[in-house]
Amino acid sequence: MLQELKDTVKKILEEKKADIVIGWKKGTLPGIATPLFMEYPEDVGELIFDHTCRNNLTSYLTKDKRKLSKDHAKVGVIVKGCDARSVVLYAVENQVKRENVFIIGVHCEGMYEKKKLRAAAEGKEIFSVKSSGNIVTIKGRDLEKSVPEKEVLSDSCIYCRYPDAREYDVFIGEPRKEVDVPEEFSSVNEFEKKTAEERWEYITEEYSKCIRCYACRNVCPSCYCNECFVDQNNPQWIGKTPETTDSIIFHLIRNIHIAGRCVDCGSCVTACPVEIDLRIMNKKVEKEIRERFGYTAGLDINEKPAMATFCEHEKQDFIMS
Amino acid sequence: MLKVKKDKINGLIGEFLKDYLVFAPVKDGSRSKFKKITDPAEISTGTVKSERSPKDVFFPQSEVLFEYDTNGVRISDNEEKPYLLWGVRNCDTKSIRMLDKVFGNAHQAPDKDMYKDPYWKKKYDTSVIFNFACTAPLSTCFCNWFGGGPFDETGSDVFVVETDGDLILKGVSEKGKALLEKLSVTIEAEKKDEELAETAKKKAEEMMSKPTDISNLFEKLSTVWNEPVWQKLAAKCVNCGACAFICPTCHCFDVSDEGKNGRGKRVRLWDSCMFPIFTMEASGHNPRGNSTQRVKQRVMHKFNYFMENYGSHLCTGCGRCIVVCPVNFDIREVIKGILDHKIKEKVQADV
Ligand code: SF4
Ligand code: SF4
Ligand code: SF4
Ligand code: SF4
Repeated sequence: MLQELKDTVKKILEEKKADIVIGWKKGTLPGIATPLFMEYPEDVGELIFDHTCRNNLTSYLTKDKRKLSKDHAKVGVIVKGCDARSVVLYAVENQVKRENVFIIGVHCEGMYEKKKLRAAAEGKEIFSVKSSGNIVTIKGRDLEKSVPEKEVLSDSCIYCRYPDAREYDVFIGEPRKEVDVPEEFSSVNEFEKKTAEERWEYITEEYSKCIRCYACRNVCPSCYCNECFVDQNNPQWIGKTPETTDSIIFHLIRNIHIAGRCVDCGSCVTACPVEIDLRIMNKKVEKEIRERFGYTAGLDINEKPAMATFCEHEKQDFIMS
Repeated sequence: MLKVKKDKINGLIGEFLKDYLVFAPVKDGSRSKFKKITDPAEISTGTVKSERSPKDVFFPQSEVLFEYDTNGVRISDNEEKPYLLWGVRNCDTKSIRMLDKVFGNAHQAPDKDMYKDPYWKKKYDTSVIFNFACTAPLSTCFCNWFGGGPFDETGSDVFVVETDGDLILKGVSEKGKALLEKLSVTIEAEKKDEELAETAKKKAEEMMSKPTDISNLFEKLSTVWNEPVWQKLAAKCVNCGACAFICPTCHCFDVSDEGKNGRGKRVRLWDSCMFPIFTMEASGHNPRGNSTQRVKQRVMHKFNYFMENYGSHLCTGCGRCIVVCPVNFDIREVIKGILDHKIKEKVQADV
């Protein structure tokens, strides 16, 4: 598959179907690939695609004041299922024109989660991670251990409904259709069973660790505002300290801003240097949007986003009660 | 050299707790950070540095400078005990010494009387650092690029080696030596202990990768300002603050007034050159408006400007930024990229 991917990207660059293609290359640490920007056919040499390609590269289409999209008429991007949904989201939200992006879909088998790998390695430093079949072998200092893949796959991938792109210009292999995932919201369902006090305790405990580095926001494809509310200082919307109260406001507002827009790519979860459980609230909001408005982000390029439309049949109990 | 048997370590820390505020690595979720402890059981030193650096101890992420109301301004001056830092690794000890050049002891020539920060000095000047040797450095540790090493004791007050759970202590600074003399739970280290420490040192040094020669880095950086290499190196950076906030040497800050109805406080907060608003001017103009310019600033500050102002690189090779970066922007690769970059001869214009 990798060779086919390389050949495809090479051809795209040769035929100028895109001026630049974003993919991944091997990173300097085990378990994390690093973005690769390919402008010339020979650049594809370093291209990889495996379980370490976590980053949702579509975020580069809107980052840095859309520099990449401005500098190049057509940007190619290699996408997993979740990433492809981000491009759809961009098109729906009028951020990037669909025809200006060349989408290259790849067959995604799920990404490994740093935190889970480390837990599997019992905290020892990891030197290499290899997978064969459904078994992952982790080698490190005084360590060699094999675990079932499911133990190290990120939650976003375990509960992923759309592992392959539905919107693409070219797909490497045969894209799978929607996968049925009955357990999709299992973490949220469990969370909802807790009492309000327990939920509050969990959330405060998690967000109290936040150092407000904004890595979660900056890797997020859905966080593309030219000026984020946390950066505005006239007026200043929130306190800038890493006190729990300020951090909670940051996170809850971000949660609401990505309502019906989060594609559960898991980039934020992996980015967080202090490993906060960011997914639980993302998923909670996703579930609300699904139940209330029957909407899932990034599926249909012609559908109006949930938070930008109104329909009289919507559940309105939050107003009535 | 002195020795503390493993069953006496808690007693030793108990002694310190009487006279000092003791800070040590403590688990915070899955990561460890320096916190004030009240019980030796809280400590989690491991074999290498904590995930969060000890810079927070002297230079917290947010620090109230003063509070005010209609009656005037109040600076809190609760007399605290001196600080004792336990379980600091050498990369971090050196970072703290670097930060002291900026905050406490500004010796930026020619003005020796430059501003000295009272908030820093109050905590720092009476502090003692127990620097632990790293018995199992990580693959991301590259202190040896900067002349350091897992058993380097430069900058320590007391240097500590763990051998089979016992501690071997060596006074390095005058302050450290004086403190060791006062202790009652120590015994003289034997030859055997020193040999054990020597073996641990060899083993740790063997774990380190070969250093890159960076003796040209400062000069090279002075010549690449307008080179295209920056675009290439910076392309993947997403301009978050993870690297700067986790770094033991980054020290830029912002000041924010938080108050209403006639009362409030002025707070000093960490800031990062990676954030767009860091250099945003009131007019709306931003002299470092794009990502490449900001990455350049980070690298130049660390490996050029700081050298010019204070005579060292503003990086101790702790490797934390490598571990936390969400896009694997590896500072070692960046340094190598700069060193390897070939400047094309400028074509002389025909006159
Ligand atoms: S909030 Fe997190 S999971 Fe959702 S789109 Fe953004 S980065 Fe991906
Ligand atoms: S990445 Fe983590 S620490 Fe940084 S702002 Fe987001 S939640 Fe906070
Ligand atoms: S180098 Fe990495 S951690 Fe630092 S600002 Fe860039 S993306 Fe964030
Ligand atoms: S720049 Fe990176 S390696 Fe250097 S001191 Fe800071 S965190 Fe450590």
